[in-house]
Amino acid sequence: MTDPSHEEGITRRQALRGAAAGGALLVGGGVLSACGVNPSVIAQSSPEPKGPIKPGGSLTVGSTGGGAQDSIDAHFATSDPDISRLNQLYEPLAVRDPDFNLQMLLAESMTPEGKKPDVWIVRLRPGVTFHNGKPVTADDVIFSLNRIINPKNPGTGAASIGYIDLKHTKKLDPRTVKVVLQYPNVGFPDDVGQYFNGIVPVGYDPKNPVGTGPFKYQSFAPGQQSVFVRNAEYWNGPSHVDQVTIIDFVDDTAKVNALLSGQVHAITNLPAAQLAQVKGLPSLRALISKGGAWLPFTMRVDQAPFNDVRVRQAFRLIVNRQQMIDQVLLGQGRVANDLYAPLDPAYNAALPQRLHDLEQAKFLLKQAGHSGLTVKLVTAPISEGIVEAAQVFASQAAGAGVTVNLDKTDTTTFFGPNYLKWTFAQDFWFTRNYIPQVEQGSLPNSPFNETHWADPTFEKLIRQAQGELDASKRTELLHAAQAIEYERGGYIVWAFSNQLDAYSSQVTGFRPARSGLPLTNYGFGRAGFVV
Amino acid sequence: MSSRTAKFIAKRLALGLLTLFLVSVVVFFATQALPANAAQAILGKTATPAALKALSAKLHLDESVFSQYWHWLTGIFHGSLGTSAATQQAVTHVLGSRLLNSAFLVLISAVIAIPLSIGLGVLMAMKRDKTADHTLSTSTLLVASLPEFVIAIALVLILSTSVFHVFPAVSLLGPGQHAWNKPSIVVLPALTLILAVTPYISRIMRGSMIEVLESDYVTMARLKGLSERAVIWRHAVPNAIVPAIQVSALQLAWMAGGVIVVEFVFDYPGTGTLLINSVTERDVPVVQAIALIIAAVYVVVNLLADLSTIMLTPRLRTAAR
Repeated sequence: MTDPSHEEGITRRQALRGAAAGGALLVGGGVLSACGVNPSVIAQSSPEPKGPIKPGGSLTVGSTGGGAQDSIDAHFATSDPDISRLNQLYEPLAVRDPDFNLQMLLAESMTPEGKKPDVWIVRLRPGVTFHNGKPVTADDVIFSLNRIINPKNPGTGAASIGYIDLKHTKKLDPRTVKVVLQYPNVGFPDDVGQYFNGIVPVGYDPKNPVGTGPFKYQSFAPGQQSVFVRNAEYWNGPSHVDQVTIIDFVDDTAKVNALLSGQVHAITNLPAAQLAQVKGLPSLRALISKGGAWLPFTMRVDQAPFNDVRVRQAFRLIVNRQQMIDQVLLGQGRVANDLYAPLDPAYNAALPQRLHDLEQAKFLLKQAGHSGLTVKLVTAPISEGIVEAAQVFASQAAGAGVTVNLDKTDTTTFFGPNYLKWTFAQDFWFTRNYIPQVEQGSLPNSPFNETHWADPTFEKLIRQAQGELDASKRTELLHAAQAIEYERGGYIVWAFSNQLDAYSSQVTGFRPARSGLPLTNYGFGRAGFVV
Repeated sequence: MSSRTAKFIAKRLALGLLTLFLVSVVVFFATQALPANAAQAILGKTATPAALKALSAKLHLDESVFSQYWHWLTGIFHGSLGTSAATQQAVTHVLGSRLLNSAFLVLISAVIAIPLSIGLGVLMAMKRDKTADHTLSTSTLLVASLPEFVIAIALVLILSTSVFHVFPAVSLLGPGQHAWNKPSIVVLPALTLILAVTPYISRIMRGSMIEVLESDYVTMARLKGLSERAVIWRHAVPNAIVPAIQVSALQLAWMAGGVIVVEFVFDYPGTGTLLINSVTERDVPVVQAIALIIAAVYVVVNLLADLSTIMLTPRLRTAAR
């Protein structure tokens, strides 16, 4: 492990600060009580980095996953370099800060209008301007929401905020928008508070990428590099560095080599295999963030053999979770219990930890008439550790008499015509709270329902919880929903994997982020060079 | 140039064009056989049916395979290589600077490697069965047996990240910059290519040089009292060089394709990395263009090699008379 200061963990001071700034913000009852909080207090809640920082300098960051299709559009982001760029240029109404508290950004508050959370009043922060000097107004918010949800060209965020009723959403005054939803949803601030839902000015054209973020656009060469310069007027405290350059690498080895040879100052997504090397060098620092990212196996509950709940339960018992963490993540993860959203206050920690039990697995398979089962597992290097996890699973399954044939494809094929239709496959997800994650993948109409999960009791509980403003009542509903997924869901969630990044010791200002996005939520505005 | 040589060139060019056409058909339909299209490649994990439909229409991927190929082929005759599916820019624009970067890398490597290996071959032949010859023969054999990515990784470890920190490990270029603006980034990739091709050329040169040195006319020249320098460079080398030219041409053609692996290791901004990305992105027009360029290099380089063989072999040169 690295030195304690780099380990995950909120210090007492940060925790207290978080509480002052709206610690109650966690989607629990917090969303609501948060809204009355004095915005200036929230703005200060981004912790200052340790050690003195020299103003100025040009920060160079390396990232993989991009290519000729790279985008700088506020509402379209698929690869890591895309997301890095968005976080410099644009800001949404709110965001999960590195401590996973929902922090208001361009909104000063978001409050449900009546007793049901189906109409929300969004009040904008005063005095914020776009990079072109134009103040942020209610019209810009409405324009941005329309641009994201546009059915002819749906943005990345359309999958999470498509339930906004645009026809009835309207401006109340230049700083206030009334957002109407198609159904009540307490998760609205979380859904709208994602990096791909940035607020852009009316008439926005990605050829002139104007936002409100800590850096302004300077140049962009898809698949190569993009350059941003300091926004001296940034409302939340201008950056230390004068310039940020984000460089695309074709593969992880080249990216790590560039860091080792001093060509870049920081890289996102350090491969776990390189962690020991980075830790051994005094010129480099490793950043280990313990968030809630997960790499599930996905079993389609509507297809044989997984339409039999006993087979799903058996497969969950086959996994030796700790062994998988040790072999696949090289120890960089925590055991999970077939549930996601571990940072949600409504996470059901009372359910007993599911253990490796081959005897019980064999018994269940026999009962289901599937002794000596053979299945095909579709895998692809869609994220680090995915293919390795499939290989380890195949060898663990042999212990229960199950033959797992690996069908290894490339990433593009995996996300090709059969995406979301594979009978038995894998996926990766970042840290989210329970309701937003359920909306993404566990409701019959979810855009990414890869397990084809459609449980009426579960759905009813979720719909009730979405409309429930009372935090303790909502937690009760969500605990019941999680118990159902734990009992008969289609995911095998074996671990929450750590986010690993690395940077040069010339740079400071990065710290572990529970939100799980690389390099402290791509926080280049808070980073700088040491004196 | 005799009319017979002209006829020969015309015939070879026509065959070359036919080869290129066949390559374009094979590459086009091979890329069609890959599962998933450019829209799915771009959207990746976020490919919801709605987003997919909108993007496929935007990228004109809803046309049939044959009409896509027909559009592409007719475009060629209008001087257009088509539009990149991933970037929606003209393929020529996407290729432009990357093609120049790759050409620069290959040419620099060839300009160093070919004279170097011919010199080495002559040296080995002259020092036949002495220590210098044994050392060079063994080491060239050793290097020849290593795949070029192993050479590349070893160079990075030795000269960039672990032992010395002399040259950049990764070939980073700013937009609008070309490789010749930043020569330091070319050193390691070029060194890799040089090490990859030198053994072949020098060993062939050694063999044919030894053969020539044993021939009667060299003995004759020596008996006539010519200086050793004149014997080697005026009489022996010009006759020994023909096989080396054939191999150099093969190596040059190999470099046009082999540069892909080398570029990948160094993230060199050339056509090789672009080809790999374009396959991943299912960017068919770009894949098509690069495959054709590599095929064209093969055709042209082989033609040039045959022509220089004719020019250098009196028997062939005068056959037409």
